[in-house]
Amino acid sequence: MSRGSLSLERLNPLTTLTGAAAVAVITTAAAQWAFSLTVLCGLLFLTLQQVRAAAALRAAAAILLPFWAALLLLHGLFFPEGRTVLMALGPAAVTREGLLFALDAGLRTGVFVLAFLLFSFTVRVPELLTALSARGFPPRLVFVIVSALTLLPAAAQRIARIRAAQEARGLVIGRSLASRLLAARLQAVPLVLSLVHESGERAQALDARGFSGRQRHSSLGAVPDSAPQWAARRVLLVLCLAAVAVRVALALFGGRA
Amino acid sequence: MASPSPQQPSLFLPEAPKRRRLLEILGAASIIATYVVLVLTQPADIAAGPGSLAALAALGGFLLGAVLLVVAVLPTLPTSTVVLIPIAMVLNIVLGQFVGSTLVPFYLDAIGTVLVAVLAGPAAGAATGALSTIVWSLFNPTVLPFAAGAALIGWLAGLAARAGVFRRFYLVPFAGFFAGVLGGVVSAPIAAFVFGGTSGLATGAIVSAFRAMGDSLLAAITKQALISDPADKAIVFTVAALLVYALPRRTAFQFPFVRRHRVLAGRVPAGGETAVKA
Amino acid sequence: MNHGPLLAAHVESFSFHGAQTPALRDVRLSVEAGSLTAVLGGSGSGKSTLARILAAWLPGSHGGELRGRLELGAHGAGARVDFDGGSDDPRIDPAAWAAHVAYVPQDAAAMLSTVRDTVAGELAFGLENLGVPVAEMRRRIAETAELIGLGGLLGRGPATLSGGELRRLAIGCAVIGQPSVLLLDEPFASLDAAGAGTVERLLWRLTADGTAVVVFSSAVDGLSRTATSWTVLGTGGPEGGRQLAAGPPDALLAGDALARSGVVVPGTAPQGPVRNSGHTDAAPVLELKGVRFGYHGPGASERETLRGVELAVRPGEVLAVTGPNGSGKSTLLRQLNGLLRPRAGSVLIQGLPTHGIPTGVLAVDVGLLFQDPRFQLFERTALREVAFGLGTKRRLLRPNPEDARVRERALAALAAVGLEAQSGSHPLELPASSRRLLALATVIAREPAVLALDEPTVGLDRHGLEVLDTAMAEATARGAAVVMVTHDLAYARARAHRLLRLDNGVLAPVE
Repeated sequence: MSRGSLSLERLNPLTTLTGAAAVAVITTAAAQWAFSLTVLCGLLFLTLQQVRAAAALRAAAAILLPFWAALLLLHGLFFPEGRTVLMALGPAAVTREGLLFALDAGLRTGVFVLAFLLFSFTVRVPELLTALSARGFPPRLVFVIVSALTLLPAAAQRIARIRAAQEARGLVIGRSLASRLLAARLQAVPLVLSLVHESGERAQALDARGFSGRQRHSSLGAVPDSAPQWAARRVLLVLCLAAVAVRVALALFGGRA
Repeated sequence: MASPSPQQPSLFLPEAPKRRRLLEILGAASIIATYVVLVLTQPADIAAGPGSLAALAALGGFLLGAVLLVVAVLPTLPTSTVVLIPIAMVLNIVLGQFVGSTLVPFYLDAIGTVLVAVLAGPAAGAATGALSTIVWSLFNPTVLPFAAGAALIGWLAGLAARAGVFRRFYLVPFAGFFAGVLGGVVSAPIAAFVFGGTSGLATGAIVSAFRAMGDSLLAAITKQALISDPADKAIVFTVAALLVYALPRRTAFQFPFVRRHRVLAGRVPAGGETAVKA
Repeated sequence: MNHGPLLAAHVESFSFHGAQTPALRDVRLSVEAGSLTAVLGGSGSGKSTLARILAAWLPGSHGGELRGRLELGAHGAGARVDFDGGSDDPRIDPAAWAAHVAYVPQDAAAMLSTVRDTVAGELAFGLENLGVPVAEMRRRIAETAELIGLGGLLGRGPATLSGGELRRLAIGCAVIGQPSVLLLDEPFASLDAAGAGTVERLLWRLTADGTAVVVFSSAVDGLSRTATSWTVLGTGGPEGGRQLAAGPPDALLAGDALARSGVVVPGTAPQGPVRNSGHTDAAPVLELKGVRFGYHGPGASERETLRGVELAVRPGEVLAVTGPNGSGKSTLLRQLNGLLRPRAGSVLIQGLPTHGIPTGVLAVDVGLLFQDPRFQLFERTALREVAFGLGTKRRLLRPNPEDARVRERALAALAAVGLEAQSGSHPLELPASSRRLLALATVIAREPAVLALDEPTVGLDRHGLEVLDTAMAEATARGAAVVMVTHDLAYARARAHRLLRLDNGVLAPVE
């Protein structure tokens, strides 16, 4: 599975999660576009080392490109606080401050998005949940999250079945948007209703299997962990706290928020 | 396999689990305090760049509040509600992702949340809103900071259901409208301080218009939210109500909240908690 | 060892929330260690409801109002629970109850947690919730896996299991807690002979080990014939949900309770009313010429499912196709209305190739009854369900001049399957057997030239089988052809003009 020694899939999922959160917090606390850019490049490099690099980058691009475009439109053209006007366009004005603001916010969000996508595209969800339950995470929380993740592909399959049944009874889905929207509505309603209906039975089966029990749960699986990873997580947490503390100190005594 | 287990626990359910009031209050307090701090201390001069401390506060305070709410609420919910939540999450995520990719200034990412709120109450609604945002963030991290706003919508929808709004269909869009006003106001600082003012092209265009008139960033975004959110939530509440009405009665009435508070119009089945004698 | 019954119950009455009449009235049941009990009844007799009450899945505030008594023998917890329908009724802890009385629902998939990615993990779920130590858990998983015959599949994903394997896994999830009573709702529904055989052997092993097994079924099958005692529940009207008879199988087979309730007793159903003389000289209404098909995509095997299927069906003809699970029978039926398209070869309906015609248009000529009605029904009431797609166009706001005619046709189809009284019911709230009949009504309402029926007999009681026979007879009388896929060989022989077997992707006659 792994490609090279930089593959994140071999790490304990808690380590990658802590890493992603730490990167996001520290970058936000630093609030320097140059720092954000460096971190973003580092994340890009790390992403390229992963097996699912292409998928992760595609997801990031789908989120970030429209986001960056909106930022540029908003602050590039309309920034009343800007003083250095580069170009005046009637009611709009391109200002240096506006562009810098967009750059700053854009890079920071870029780091945030890529860090967390890197985590979600390298994590094995069952391992993450085993790790979380082993640390006393509420079992219901674990159940809800996994169940939603397994339901996502299952829902698509079920919609296909409902559509097949409707087509077998004379539904013709045209190419027009209106026709497709009508079809989507026709399929969404039975999908939700059948899922809600079945959930009643599932709830009783879960209760019969001790899901609501107050006992301390045990866990069949175990997730590999190591002392260096344990230490790395602690260091990352300390770094986060330090970054936030410095930022607060600067705000209180240095005057810059 | 006929040997009974050695230990012999009680065959009966203990009293209903105590609500974790303290955690709930802490969660709500964290969200409210964060909002107040953000509005009071909003950077006077944003020309120096997007505020770092404000971003950290918005990120941390709202997320912490949402997580506290989830931890407080989940263990107290009946299993029938717990299994409903993942379905609502899928509904939120699929619709939200689809609508977010179009150029419509709406979100429609709370239909599942409102559905759960109507069937299972405000606490369940709040937990669903927060949780679906957290899971959605695995695919789209930018939604993560909005968890508190989503929880608020679920909570408000549950209150509306308890008050009997969903017994009369024409009241539903109004309830959605008001929930949208509150939700929009709470979410605006996130868009302003964490993401520098936008969460999409369509909404960004509306913010631009207010900025062109000289509004501050937070004011412009709040105004944009007051345009988008109430309309969005009015639609969401209406769609969720239609879904609930389409449910088989037996399914809808298996939820104690629906029976106890007469959430839906029509005859109340005998038995259960409500023995309404006219 | 024998200290009286392990479980005794007396249900004075049970009503669902909002229902006018009770679903069960005055039913008594008592089971002893190592016994096999069968609760028999037609569709809507309240079998599943009774099973859920015994399993503590319904009482209390969950589903309805229960009056009566549940008693666990001294060998178990020695507890007696009385219900009087009030809100202060005792609330049974389902997990504690399941340690003594376990239940496997008709839909085995509902038993699974959906959050485990392996068979072993699924088996472990219940033990983990009880906090069983890991070493003990591994031992019990190994034991149970061996018992249910899934020892070799512990690492497989539950979603990849076959019907029989899935049901055995569901039973495994129930018995891993070592209950003394096991309740099974329609344990053989939609299983082929091989799958049903493995489940049957598993149940015999459990009774031999001392577990009391209770099966709830609408048919007298091989397993229930060996039962120690039978209880028959009535269907419809004043007998609905009442205990009609109880006692040893031989005594009940001689009486009329089974027939009154609509229980299917193999070998007693009237034979062969469907056989019209097929219009042998007419042009075929359906033709398949050299149809080849294979699924592709990740996980699909490279082998083609259909490898040159040749078929011609004439008006008025009833054709049955058999074959083992996974041989592609359902795939073949989906070729007929274009839900799947042949990779090579062609399908002709009334002489015209279906190539390029949308399924929704072909639906006028081909009516497909799906194997699982849950995915075929999607409307809010039975009437709307049957009326779906009957008109030419859906209209908003404007009254459709066709509405009255559509309504009439839909009501007629509902009446033909005996569901006219349920026209306002939600399809998901109907009993499983009625749901299948409703799905059948949606097919016959369209009066298609070809009826494609996927396992039409599964889960039908005697009344349902009669409805199916009548529907097929009427369809063939007006010149339609019926193609049915079934693993019920006896039924196929009795009803079809021709019997074919799908094996290795080609059709061959069965002798």
